[in-house]
Amino acid sequence: MRHSETDILIIGGGGAGLFAALHAHAANPKLRIALAVKGLLGKCGCTRMVQGGYNAALGGGDSVELHFRDTIEGGKWLPHQELAWRLCETAPLRVRQLENEYGCFFDRNHDGTLHQKPFAGQRFDRTVHKGDLTGIEIMNRLMEQARELPMQIFEEHRALALLPARDGGRLCGALLVDMRGGEMHCVRAAATLLATGGGPTMYRYHTPSGDKSMDGLAMALRLGLGLRDMEMVQFHPTGLLAGADTRMTGTVLEEGLRGAGGHILNGDGRRFLLDHDAAGERATRDIVSRAMFAEMRAGRAAPNGGVWLTMRHLGADSVRRQFPGMVKRCADCGFDLAAGQVEVAPTAHYFMGGVVVDAGGASEMPGLFVAGEDTGGVHGANRLGGNGVANSTVFGGIAGESMAKYVASEFGAGGCAAPPAPQPGLAEAEAEHAAEPFSLPRGNVHALREKLQETMWRDAGVLRDAPGLRSAMAQLAQQKDELRRTGVGGGRAFNPAWHDWLNLRSLLDVSEAIAAAALARENSRGAHFREDFPGDGGLRNSHFTVCRQTGQNENSVEVTQIPVAFTILQPPDNPAPPA
Amino acid sequence: MKPATDTIRVLIRRGDAHSGRICVYRAPRRENQTVLDVVTWIQRELAPDLAYRFSCRVGMCGTCAMMVGGAPRWTCRTHVKTVLRRGQLELAPLRSLPIIKDLACDMSEFFAKWRRAEGRFHSSPERSGRAQPPVKILPSTPARREADAAIECINCAVCYSACDVVAWNRDYLGPAALNRAWSLQNDARDSAHARRLRAVSAGGGCQHCHSQHSCESFCPVGLSPARSIAGLKRALARGALGIRPHSPPHA
Repeated sequence: MRHSETDILIIGGGGAGLFAALHAHAANPKLRIALAVKGLLGKCGCTRMVQGGYNAALGGGDSVELHFRDTIEGGKWLPHQELAWRLCETAPLRVRQLENEYGCFFDRNHDGTLHQKPFAGQRFDRTVHKGDLTGIEIMNRLMEQARELPMQIFEEHRALALLPARDGGRLCGALLVDMRGGEMHCVRAAATLLATGGGPTMYRYHTPSGDKSMDGLAMALRLGLGLRDMEMVQFHPTGLLAGADTRMTGTVLEEGLRGAGGHILNGDGRRFLLDHDAAGERATRDIVSRAMFAEMRAGRAAPNGGVWLTMRHLGADSVRRQFPGMVKRCADCGFDLAAGQVEVAPTAHYFMGGVVVDAGGASEMPGLFVAGEDTGGVHGANRLGGNGVANSTVFGGIAGESMAKYVASEFGAGGCAAPPAPQPGLAEAEAEHAAEPFSLPRGNVHALREKLQETMWRDAGVLRDAPGLRSAMAQLAQQKDELRRTGVGGGRAFNPAWHDWLNLRSLLDVSEAIAAAALARENSRGAHFREDFPGDGGLRNSHFTVCRQTGQNENSVEVTQIPVAFTILQPPDNPAPPA
Repeated sequence: MKPATDTIRVLIRRGDAHSGRICVYRAPRRENQTVLDVVTWIQRELAPDLAYRFSCRVGMCGTCAMMVGGAPRWTCRTHVKTVLRRGQLELAPLRSLPIIKDLACDMSEFFAKWRRAEGRFHSSPERSGRAQPPVKILPSTPARREADAAIECINCAVCYSACDVVAWNRDYLGPAALNRAWSLQNDARDSAHARRLRAVSAGGGCQHCHSQHSCESFCPVGLSPARSIAGLKRALARGALGIRPHSPPHA
C-alpha cells in the first residue's frame, strides 16, 4: 500500500472539487493540496453535462430575495434556508468570477451584457449559459486553471473509504485505489473534502455519467454520518429509450422540447397528459413524470416500455432549426426526432439528499467537509434547473476557504507537518474488503445491477407506497447478500468489472437509505410522491428526514424526522392535510 | 424490442504499451447501437477486464474516443451501421498517445501541450474583480465570432490522433491546443496575447502544421482547428511585419 500526506485532500474533480482547490490555494498558497478524481480531470462527472445553465440574480429587477423565494418554493419548503440563502447570495459572485478570472465566455445580449434565459419555476430570466453546453465551458475553463495549481492530481483514483481517527473525533484522510495500476493508496490529510457528486444511477433509467455510483454518500453512510432528504430523487420526464444494451438510454432530451409544444403519446398513440394537468406536456417535471410512469405501468406503453415523444406536428424543418443538437444526437443513434417519434421514459436525474453540513461546508465530523451534490438541504424536495451547477461551484469555493481556515486554526498557518493518523489497521481492513470479489467465485455483476435498477424503478421510484417500499427493502437486503457472494475475474489493473462491483456496493448502501427515508415520509412533496399519502402534510408542519447507518446488517438504516427551521421565509397558511 | 438477428465480428487491440495482441469477439447486432454499446457488451459478457473509457454517453466529455477501423472517432455517438465493414469492426486505442491498457490511453501529453500553448485564460488585473460585471462584448463582433467558432472543443483528442504531423513530430503542439490558443487570442478580455503568440511560435508550434485538414475532417463537434492554426500563422506574420502585433486580428 502506498502512503502519502497532504494538508487538504479533495475527493472529486467536478465543479465543487475544482472550485475548492482554487479557493483553498488562493486562501493559503502554502497549503499542500491533493485532488483525487475517478476519471480524467475535468472530463468525468456531471458538472460537465450541464446543458441549461447557471442561475444568478444579476440585477435588472432580479434580486437575491427573488431567487431565494423561487428556490424555497421550488423545494416545497424543505430546503435548509441558510444554505439556500448562501447559494443565491453567492451565485452572482461566482458567475463574475467564472467570467472575469477563469475565462468562461458566456453568451451575451445584443448590448454585450450577459444573456440570461428563462427556466421553469422561476420568476425571472436568470439562467446564464453558453449555448446549451454550459457545463463544457465551465469545466474546461476550471480544468485549465486547476492544472496550473501546485497540486497533486490523482486521476482515475477512486475513493474506497473515509478514515477517521481511532476515537472517531476527526477525519484523517481517505483510502484510494489507483484504478489504472490497481494499487491501494492511503492519503492522510488534515482536512478532507467529499465532492464526488451524487448521481442516482440505481434506477433503470438515469441521466448521470457512467462513472457515477454515489460513492461519496455510501462512504459517508458507512462512517455513520447523518444524511438528509434521502428520499428526494429528481426524475426528468424525457429520457431517451434506445433499446436493450444501449448506453444512450436514459440520457436527457431537453426540457425545451415539451416547452416548444412537443406531444407525449402513449402506446396507443393518444395524448394523455391533459387528463392529469391543464398544462398538459408543459406541466412541471414531477407531474409529467408521474403521469408517464402511471401510463407505462398500466401497460399502455410503446415497444420498449416507454411512451412516445413527437415533434413532427410542429414541422420537421422548424424542429431541426430550433433543436439542432438534440436532432443530431438522436440521428447519430438512429432516431428521427424532427419528423418521426422517439421513445422516452422518466429518468433519474439528480439527487437532492446528502450529508448534513453547515453553511461553510463542514460536516458533523471535524476535518471532513462536503460540497456539491454530496450535500443535502440546499434544494429540499426539488431542485430548480440552473441551481445544480450553482450549488457545486458556490459551495465548492466556500468549502475550499473553510478548509484553509480549519487547517490554519488546528495546525498553524504553515499547514500540517504530520497529519493525525487514522485508526490503525482501518485502511488495511478497507483495502481487503474492497478486494474481496477477487477471492469469490466469478458471477455476473451486471445482471445484479440490473436487478437493483429494476427494484428501485418499480418500488422506490416515481410513484411509491408502503408495500412497495417494504418490498424494495427486502429485495435490497437480498441483493446485498448476493453481491457478497459474487466475485470478479481478471487482475486489479484497469479492470472495469472490479469497479462495477464497487459501484454496485455503493449503490446498494445508498438505495437502502433512499427506501428507508421514503418509507418514513408519509406525505408527498416535490420529487417524493406517496400514492398512499398524496397530501403535502401541511407546509408549516414541514420535517426533513435524516438517515444514519447503525450497523452492517439488513435494515440497518435509522430515520429520524426533524422540523424545518423557517429562519428567513415562512410558508403560507394552508389547509390541514386530508385525513 | 427487436431480437438480435445477427452478430458483428469485433477485433480489439488488447494489451499495454509494450505488447499487444488482436482479440476477436462476436457481439449481437442491434438496430440502434453505437460503437460504445458494442464495447460495453463485450466487456460485460465476454471480457470483464477489457479496459476502456467513457463517461457522459452523449458526446460532452470526450473520453470514449478510439480508433475505429483505423480512424479516430467518438464512440458514444458513432452508430455501428456507419462504420461496419463486411460485418466487422476493428477497434484500437487512439493513435499518437501512450497506451495504458487495451483501449485506454494516457492523455497527459495531450494536456501538457494544451498548457504549453498557453491554453488558459489570463485575466487582467483591472478586470478580475469579483464585484465587477463581466466585460461587455457585442456578440456580433468578428473577434467574438472567431472565439466562439473554436470554443466548443471537448478535448477528446480525436484531432490530435488524426494529425499526421503529430505522428511524425512528437514535439508538435497539435491541433486541439493550438485551436484553444486561437480562441483565446480572439478573447478581448484575455491579457496574455503576446505571451501566447510566443508560445505557439516556439519549437513544435503552429508553423509545423501542413494544412492537411485531418483535424477538421475528424472533429466530432465540427470545429476546424486547421482554420484556427491558419489564424495563428496570420497573426504571427502580421507581428513579423510589424502590423498590430499584440492585438487580435479582428478586434
